[in-house]
Amino acid sequence: MNLNYNEEQIMLREQIQKFCESEYDFYKREDVVKSPENFDKKAWQLFSEQGWLSMPFSEESGGLGFGPIELSILFEEFGKALVIEPYLATVVLSGTLLDKSSYKNKINLIENISNGSLHVSLAYAEADNGYDYLSPNTSVNSDNNLNGTKTLVLNGGNASNLIVSCKKEGEFQLVLIDSNSDGVSINSFTTIDGQSCSEISFENVKLDETNLIAVGDEAITLINETINLATLCISAEAVGCMESCYFKTLEYTKGREQFGQPISSFQVLQHRMVDMYVESELSKSLLIKAMLEVQSNSKDKFKHVSALKSYVGKYGKFSAKEAVQLHGGMGVSEEMMIGHYLKKMVSIDALFGNADFHLNKIGK
Amino acid sequence: MYNEALFYQSKYIFKGIMDINFSKEDIAFRDEVRDWLSNDYPKHVKDKTDNGTAITKQDMIDYHKAISKKGWMGYNWPVEYGGTGWSSTQLYIFNKEFGLAGCPPLLAFGVSMVAPVIWTFGNDEQKERFLPDILNFDTWWCQGYSEPGSGSDLASLKTKAVLNGDHYIVNGSKTWTTLAQNADWIFCLVRTDNSGIKQEGISFLLIDMNTPGIEVKPIITIDGEHEVNSVFFTDVKVPAENLVGEEGKGWTYAKFLLAHERFGIAGVGASMRQLNRLKDIISKLDNNDLQKKVNELEVALSAIEITELRLLSALENGGHPGAESSILKIKGTEMQQALSELFVEASGEYALMYPGPHGYGNNDKPAGPDYAAEGLSGFLNLRKTSIYGGSNEIQKNILSKFVLGV
Repeated sequence: MNLNYNEEQIMLREQIQKFCESEYDFYKREDVVKSPENFDKKAWQLFSEQGWLSMPFSEESGGLGFGPIELSILFEEFGKALVIEPYLATVVLSGTLLDKSSYKNKINLIENISNGSLHVSLAYAEADNGYDYLSPNTSVNSDNNLNGTKTLVLNGGNASNLIVSCKKEGEFQLVLIDSNSDGVSINSFTTIDGQSCSEISFENVKLDETNLIAVGDEAITLINETINLATLCISAEAVGCMESCYFKTLEYTKGREQFGQPISSFQVLQHRMVDMYVESELSKSLLIKAMLEVQSNSKDKFKHVSALKSYVGKYGKFSAKEAVQLHGGMGVSEEMMIGHYLKKMVSIDALFGNADFHLNKIGK
Repeated sequence: MYNEALFYQSKYIFKGIMDINFSKEDIAFRDEVRDWLSNDYPKHVKDKTDNGTAITKQDMIDYHKAISKKGWMGYNWPVEYGGTGWSSTQLYIFNKEFGLAGCPPLLAFGVSMVAPVIWTFGNDEQKERFLPDILNFDTWWCQGYSEPGSGSDLASLKTKAVLNGDHYIVNGSKTWTTLAQNADWIFCLVRTDNSGIKQEGISFLLIDMNTPGIEVKPIITIDGEHEVNSVFFTDVKVPAENLVGEEGKGWTYAKFLLAHERFGIAGVGASMRQLNRLKDIISKLDNNDLQKKVNELEVALSAIEITELRLLSALENGGHPGAESSILKIKGTEMQQALSELFVEASGEYALMYPGPHGYGNNDKPAGPDYAAEGLSGFLNLRKTSIYGGSNEIQKNILSKFVLGV
């Protein structure tokens, strides 16, 4: 047994930390949030040069062949700095799905994702289906036309290609379409945590066999595996947020003086910060377990990701709410970073199944 | 970096792959422990613990002697004193398997509390006199720490020992003394000096419970059990040779003892057993609220388990433990309490039918599930876990100091 990160993994973490510290402070992030695209092209190019965009892809697809451990490291660090670049949408949700599929054009797509020139988004969710991603109403008719509406398509407005889940004659399938195709309309907005997100309608979008990524069991497996990996990633992001909430609150209370002394000297605040710290460590433990289960592709990997997601869903919000409270008025100021962790935690809990959803899943 | 202080203190460069599985050797060891539990764990004790019947003093002696016979009594002792010399991982496995099998917790007072103090700070004569009896479970020890006026502020203790020739004369009282009614010996923190700061006037004294002037009075806890006691000392004559180490150094030894008692503190194995039983019970009740609660406890227990494994991994790879035993104490005891509370909730209105430790006497057992009485007994009894061993609030003070640095 060895639960230490190895030399390469520690170097990767330091590399990402260095980027976040020198290139992505809170003011920079604010500029990105306010930009029309909600992402930074220069940073994205840097991600490509560092090899981060090709990190999780198999070596056959020209990737680095890294796994969930390295992805978790990246997302933990992104969580600490509240990085909002569309890594989840393009690399994890779309790139790893394509990489695992038998789609014949995938090498070209993955190459362009890796060099930073292409954004692809996965349109998996619909308004009426909750967290059930396998029963889309979007469908392909007998004339091979795609019709339906997808919601919460992360980074949809920036994507040149869309992977769309749909049904044809009752069978689940995944198709890849060009965002500029006739009949595609995209309505983009900004999420609570500053990401770009779209509602996308398809009206008689013409498909042929070159659009088809996977059908039936293969398509179901691809969606399940991809969403599970993405759930692990945003849970790792939550773990990073929790660590920052605790640390920033500690720093703040050490510097803030009231009644002639730092407020960190008050036991009632100390114990609350200890609780934040303890939950951050326990979440880290569940992250380690979940990422190792996904790494070894065990049969329990879905269960352990659900365990992690339910825990960080609940305690992530707990940590962020405590952080806001202990920062006093500063905690509710839009111009301070701390309140943005709370928005991030709300967003992470809501995405891919909230705490209750995953708790119920564990028992099944 | 902040936070690294806890689990990643080891300075070595790791080039392998993260792996959560035990080694082949550790698996073989686990199988050996399981084998003993299936074949040599005394059956009369197993039967009682399995069906929730209280076990007697003689049962406890039989159980501990069986472990001695196997050579496992010195589970956290170095080989030179007759211990097993086990690694941290072996010790973890041993604790976990005993918990999973539903064994009563091993009595820690002799083997893992007073013994390390004796072999570290005691003289050769004391080592020869006391250690073999502890290994064979020929003496039952109890702990004389808390006093009526000294709980969390232990260093304020007042029980006084005055040297008079070759004897100390001890006067005062100790309280919450677990199973003092069964004990042959008690190790006490006593005050030998009042002149300086309170920690410096404390000494560590071993006292034979049969000495005239000692009186043990039961304290009945809210579950109806007689587990703890008050112990009164009136002009008790204790030979000066029973002082461990130096006079006035008792506080240092007491802190050393606490640091030594790190493993198994979370009670993961025992909690897993309770969780599995609850899952069985609740799956038959078809109650979504309870199902969700038990799922939540399953997740939290997994988090505690992996946290303990992270500590083991750090230790096995050259790291130094920090304040994680406080995390494990807080979360482990909260877990034990939450599990017992869920047994009570699963009992519904039968939770009212609590018979206490002496059963229903001549009356018939009332209706309701078997686990109802056990659940309530655990729920009431386990209140103690967040109070003893440094209350959970004291643990948070420790974490504030060592981790938050405030």
